[in-house]
Amino acid sequence: MAIPHPRDIQLAAVRWLDERYPFTKTIEESMYQRVPNFANAFYYCFGGMVFVIIVLQLVTGILLSIYYVPDARGNPAEAYSSVLFIQNSVYLGWLIRGVHFWGANILIFMVLLHMARVYWTGSYRAPRELNWMVGAIMLLLILAFALTGYLLPWDTKAYFATEVTIKIAGSPPPPWLGAFIKQILQGGPVVGPPTLQIFFTAHVFLLPALIVVLMYVHFRFIRAHGIAEPM
Amino acid sequence: MADATAPRLVSRRTFLGWWMAIILTSLTVAGVLPILVYLWPAPPKGQKKGPVNITLDKPISQLNDGEAVKFNAPTSPNTAFIMADGGGDNAPGDLAFGGFAVKNGSKVDVLAINCSHLGCSVALNDSAKTFDCPCHGSRFHLDGTVLHGPAAFPLSHLSWKQGDDPSTIQVDGIVLGF
Repeated sequence: MAIPHPRDIQLAAVRWLDERYPFTKTIEESMYQRVPNFANAFYYCFGGMVFVIIVLQLVTGILLSIYYVPDARGNPAEAYSSVLFIQNSVYLGWLIRGVHFWGANILIFMVLLHMARVYWTGSYRAPRELNWMVGAIMLLLILAFALTGYLLPWDTKAYFATEVTIKIAGSPPPPWLGAFIKQILQGGPVVGPPTLQIFFTAHVFLLPALIVVLMYVHFRFIRAHGIAEPM
Repeated sequence: MADATAPRLVSRRTFLGWWMAIILTSLTVAGVLPILVYLWPAPPKGQKKGPVNITLDKPISQLNDGEAVKFNAPTSPNTAFIMADGGGDNAPGDLAFGGFAVKNGSKVDVLAINCSHLGCSVALNDSAKTFDCPCHGSRFHLDGTVLHGPAAFPLSHLSWKQGDDPSTIQVDGIVLGF
């Protein structure tokens, strides 16, 4: 029997898939999408970069969560020692943690660049106002990600930065409102193990779910409206 | 029919519409509210308010006028003191993890260590007989009133009473439970 050419095997596999779902059509629709000339500029890429970095954060975050233990009890707390373990003992743990750390910082920077681009090209005007609002909510979600993720290593810097932030959040008058906000965020009278638990749950379950849903909505809006004409 | 031609105040449709809206809204609220209450943190097992026994380095009775002794909250189990009063960054009911027992004239004050500006721990300045805050330079007299600095409110008091032996005092506090 003649040995088939690898290209023939590839074509046969793709044909098998296409007979069951229009994969080729779907991919080619996106790949050969034409972009207007004015959008052929580097500053139109920031939004896509935000998406790529969020995906990177999701992947590295999942890898970190395999070893991280969200327990703040004890001395040293397991949260802290698990981060040390990732940093020093896990193969390429330092790299995964580093990418997650730097990714977070670059993500915030890129989000601000993307927001500035949308603002200065007037891409928030009708009929795109709703999409701008979705983007604004996503900005708040990214900041919430940063706040909750900052506490997870449970070191001195993390602990006191969180205490300062919760004090700011709990400062609006009347006093009972501030105390209420603090109690909900802290999970108790002081930043402690319940706080770490709440922040971990938010950072790993609640916020990723929300941001994935909102990204989907954001992209649906963009496909529906197309790229905005510049002013 | 008597009022078949008289104008109705509210049509059947409007009447039913409002009732449906009220019922659906209250059902939704009744469903969501328990979830919001769930978010309110329950104290961990073992959290208990009560007097905390502190052994001072120097018994209260041996303190001279203008002398202060510092003490910290115990860490096994993790405990905190509860402020009895306070202004600025401190409020009654806030937690403090350290304090000073000070002799002022004939009375003894037990003050929380938290500066009323932004909460840093104040330090005793023996020579100047003041409490100085290292963060932004607030200074307090030994009775807790403000001498200088961004702080605008006096240091908080802790409720206390004499303990079983001369160098122990009991301060109102809370065992944290974690």
